[in-house]
Amino acid sequence: MEQTARLELKNISKSFPSETAGRIDILKDVSLTLESGCVLRLAGASGSGKTTFMNIVSALMPPDSGSVLFNGTDITRLSESGKDRFRAENVGYIFQTFNLLSPYSVVENVYAPLAFAGKLSGDYRKRAMQALDRVEMAEFADKLPYHLSVGQRQRVAIARVLFAGQRLILADEPTASLDGHSSGLVREVLLELSRQGAILIFSSHDTAFDLFRTDMTFNLETGVIS
Amino acid sequence: MRLRYILKASVHSIKHRKSAFLISVFSISVSFMMLCAIGNISFGIAAATVNRSLTFPLVVGPVGSSDTSLVMSSVFNVDKPDGTLDYGIYEELSADKRVRSAFPVIRSDSYQGVPITGVNSAYINEISKGFSSLAQNSKADDIFGEGGLHCAVIGSKIAARHELEVGDGFFGSHGHVGDEDAHEHSSFAYSVCGILNPTNSVEDFSIFVDLRSAWAIHHAHHHHDHEGEHEHEGGHEHEGEHEHEGKITAVLVKTVNPAATAALEREYSENGRTNAANVAKTVRQLVQYMNKAETAAGFFSYGTLVLVMLMVFVTILMAVNERKKEMALMRTIGIGRFPIAMMIVCESLFTALCGIIAGSAAGHAVLALLKPRIDVALGISLEPFYFTAVELNGIVVTAVTALLISFAALVKIYRMNLTEEISRD
Repeated sequence: MEQTARLELKNISKSFPSETAGRIDILKDVSLTLESGCVLRLAGASGSGKTTFMNIVSALMPPDSGSVLFNGTDITRLSESGKDRFRAENVGYIFQTFNLLSPYSVVENVYAPLAFAGKLSGDYRKRAMQALDRVEMAEFADKLPYHLSVGQRQRVAIARVLFAGQRLILADEPTASLDGHSSGLVREVLLELSRQGAILIFSSHDTAFDLFRTDMTFNLETGVIS
Repeated sequence: MRLRYILKASVHSIKHRKSAFLISVFSISVSFMMLCAIGNISFGIAAATVNRSLTFPLVVGPVGSSDTSLVMSSVFNVDKPDGTLDYGIYEELSADKRVRSAFPVIRSDSYQGVPITGVNSAYINEISKGFSSLAQNSKADDIFGEGGLHCAVIGSKIAARHELEVGDGFFGSHGHVGDEDAHEHSSFAYSVCGILNPTNSVEDFSIFVDLRSAWAIHHAHHHHDHEGEHEHEGGHEHEGEHEHEGKITAVLVKTVNPAATAALEREYSENGRTNAANVAKTVRQLVQYMNKAETAAGFFSYGTLVLVMLMVFVTILMAVNERKKEMALMRTIGIGRFPIAMMIVCESLFTALCGIIAGSAAGHAVLALLKPRIDVALGISLEPFYFTAVELNGIVVTAVTALLISFAALVKIYRMNLTEEISRD
């Protein structure tokens, strides 16, 4: 994994149409900079804009104004295929539930993004197995996702990030549907990834995350970054 | 690697909607079978027709007969001849320097629905590819020679169909195929003296007898009927029956060159005694006419095929709808739109390919099974495993439609709102 990463948000604003109030501002002139190893927690009630924030920094959604620079490149100006490449190489997205592609086995899910990007090299299967082993899922390598529980799928998604060595980890309520053991394992690996230099942005109502090392908290309801 | 992943996703999707896939494949197959049958049968008819037109470029028949009727009755042994002409016309043509060879033919009787044609030995030598079976006392190069008056030469398909062998006897029925007053000539028996090798043409479905026997049989029949008339009132009469002798139905002519064909055609059409038809020209008109029918049938089948493909489109669109969230996840983890699009293209093409292969295999198998019946019914020699242009066009139509379907489905993928799909739970 390349150890250096730098994410800069400059004057990001995003609003959505509303039936009652014309438009609702979700993000208003947000600027912040995150360096390698930095952990940012997104706080706020449901609908406050945590997912919108993650979608903007992963180039899934364009901001109304402002720019998002990752290692100096403004990702809002990339072409669609450029954004796809950016996500495959740099962004590890972990969702609350839906994380795996049903046609592929567990191990194939781990290396699918790089396989499609044509970036697989060396003994990729061995490395994928190591990543699965790290999240205690190696024995399920050849199973299809529908054989797995929600917590097991979540761990495979984490293994995917471990394998690809992505430098921007976005975790949207990653432990919401997990049992204690899986939840602990997910938190542990996320922390490990940040220690290895990845920028970690997560949102969670899980109180276990209160003990989690965070460098910054962005309250989207108040717009305060602390 | 990418292709393997793409194919795996396509196969997975197909596995998850087996019923829709099987219905799609079945529908395409049925349409394709129709194309296969139309193409092969049309090709068989056209091939048989063209082959014959090359053998005899000119046919001379009685005055007042139409070109088409003349060609159909005397060259293809179907349809009823329009009247008769004097044997002297044949002698006149034989003596003409512009004529390489001429062959008199008579069509009057039939056997169990098969027309019996009176010809000479030279005609048999001209059209046959030898005999698969020959009577001991018969000469292959002069089959109707000495003692050949009762000899019948039969085509390979007729021999098989009626289980006739050399030495078997049969009676011909007076009148043409389909005549209501046809009745058996019980006083004149034919004996099979030769079975022709297959020619893949009209000969395979024909019965040939000596020209003189056609005259003799009607002479005998005439006397027999007149004897009967003394015994019972209302006996069957054949007015002018004795006029059969010395009459023929047509003369098939091989000319020395095309200019001779044109000149003879003109002369024998304008002399007031005969009509002459250029076989190639008449056949061309017939084939053009058949082509129109083939085109109409083809359009119907292509239309059906396109409708079926529209159904495939709906099922693929439904599959895309079912997988929208998964496709959004693919985009989120960095899988581009192109590989996702290729999954749809592969799925659509694979469905079409399965339909084409199944339809083509079934179509050719059905044609092979029905070949004996089709051959006899249409007087052709079907090549059940021949790939015709109609079928190849069908493959192109199916493949192009499958691609268009994919592109239409791709528009949906390209317009997909990723964040909306991924956040839908």
